[in-house]
Amino acid sequence: MKIAIIGAGIMGLSTAYYLSKSGIDVTVLEQKYLLYGASGRNSGGITPMIDREELIPFALESIKLYDRLPSELNFNFLMRKDGYVKLASNEGDADRLRQEVRMQNRLGVSSRVISPEEIKELVPDFNPDSAIAASYCRDSGVVFPWPVIWGLARGCRKNGAEIKTEAKVERIEKNGEKLSVYVNGGKYEFDIVVNSAGAWSNEISKMLGIELGNRIIKEEVCVTESVKPYIDPYIHDISSGVYVTQTARGEIIGGITGKETDTINTSSTIEFAVKYAKRVTQMIPKLKGLAMLRQWAGVYDESRDGLPVIGFTEVDGFIQANGLGKHKGMIVALSLGRELAKLIEKGENPVIKKFNPQRF
Amino acid sequence: MVKERKIVCRCEDLTEEEIIHAIEEGYNDLESLKRYTGATTGACQGKGCLMHIIRILSQKTGKSPDEIGITTQRPPVNPVPLYILSEGDVE
Repeated sequence: MKIAIIGAGIMGLSTAYYLSKSGIDVTVLEQKYLLYGASGRNSGGITPMIDREELIPFALESIKLYDRLPSELNFNFLMRKDGYVKLASNEGDADRLRQEVRMQNRLGVSSRVISPEEIKELVPDFNPDSAIAASYCRDSGVVFPWPVIWGLARGCRKNGAEIKTEAKVERIEKNGEKLSVYVNGGKYEFDIVVNSAGAWSNEISKMLGIELGNRIIKEEVCVTESVKPYIDPYIHDISSGVYVTQTARGEIIGGITGKETDTINTSSTIEFAVKYAKRVTQMIPKLKGLAMLRQWAGVYDESRDGLPVIGFTEVDGFIQANGLGKHKGMIVALSLGRELAKLIEKGENPVIKKFNPQRF
Repeated sequence: MVKERKIVCRCEDLTEEEIIHAIEEGYNDLESLKRYTGATTGACQGKGCLMHIIRILSQKTGKSPDEIGITTQRPPVNPVPLYILSEGDVE
């Protein structure tokens, strides 16, 4: 069985890693270079404290994999587990956080409601007047997304998988039992093609006449100069969408949850820089003195119902593995990739049936 | 005796040897080399080091600087404190 995986982001590489670990012949086709897509542009917040209960088991499982994979792959993910804080600055969002915590606790997540003053105990310079309620989960943290991708890529290669970069898929055709994939003027035959192209997944689906209909989200992120360890947890204000934490390199990294866009574009805007600076300096006023070094943007995709799209499609051999959604890809993809590999090997996997593309 | 060290990226304290090592590891396009080594990601954002990195990459891979290209240029041109940005007036 020959498998092509389109997109070398965390979803594609995790799937490729577990398939190749079972000895399956895998080729990963990346349109640009490793880290070009959302897996190379996000801020690395990792928590099981997410808002969709369908995904929480996969978040919990992925956190275990984040603990285990660095030694398995012999690659340090630079993960810091110093907790994750979600805060709300209006009553509606405060209620939402409280409801989320009840749901999370039911599913075995050790999150709890905390007061703004308790955030100050975690981050001494936090301004408690900038929030009215918050939730906290200790078993969470921040990962450096780049070594996650490099480490998975190294594991794939060690297992015999091939990763082709600068390999943009131009066309896919159904050819009897096989799928023909056209890349850089060459034609390659595969038994199975996995579409883990993130924000480009709609375009890949169209090549086989499938209207995937994932929403494309553009999100902007920035870093300041590096300082000594200052912010331990990942802090995410669900009311403004502003999030902030500190990388293993010492930069204060943060962004604003993205908005839907019609076209893929990764331009930077001054509107983002100003909105981010206003809110983040309300939350932690001392950040005022730090200088922004760089801002950038990335694009990811979210399915029509906000849950991943994973599984077989009406085109035999063509599999979707995309639509992971806002603030979730890095959190759930390790486990979802492993489950998708099982689906491909065995032909079925009840654990991820609810993400079946044919639900729409 | 002090080992000869040719620093090519001062913000991230990288030597020419380290850049060459990364290229030999397979991070042999500019965007990957930047991310793997941290070159051009420090306070200067490449103003001091990008040309050195391109030169080394060109010498190692045989590609011309034009083929290698440059990294994506992003704002701000120089670091801007958040207190200045937070006074911005945009909608």
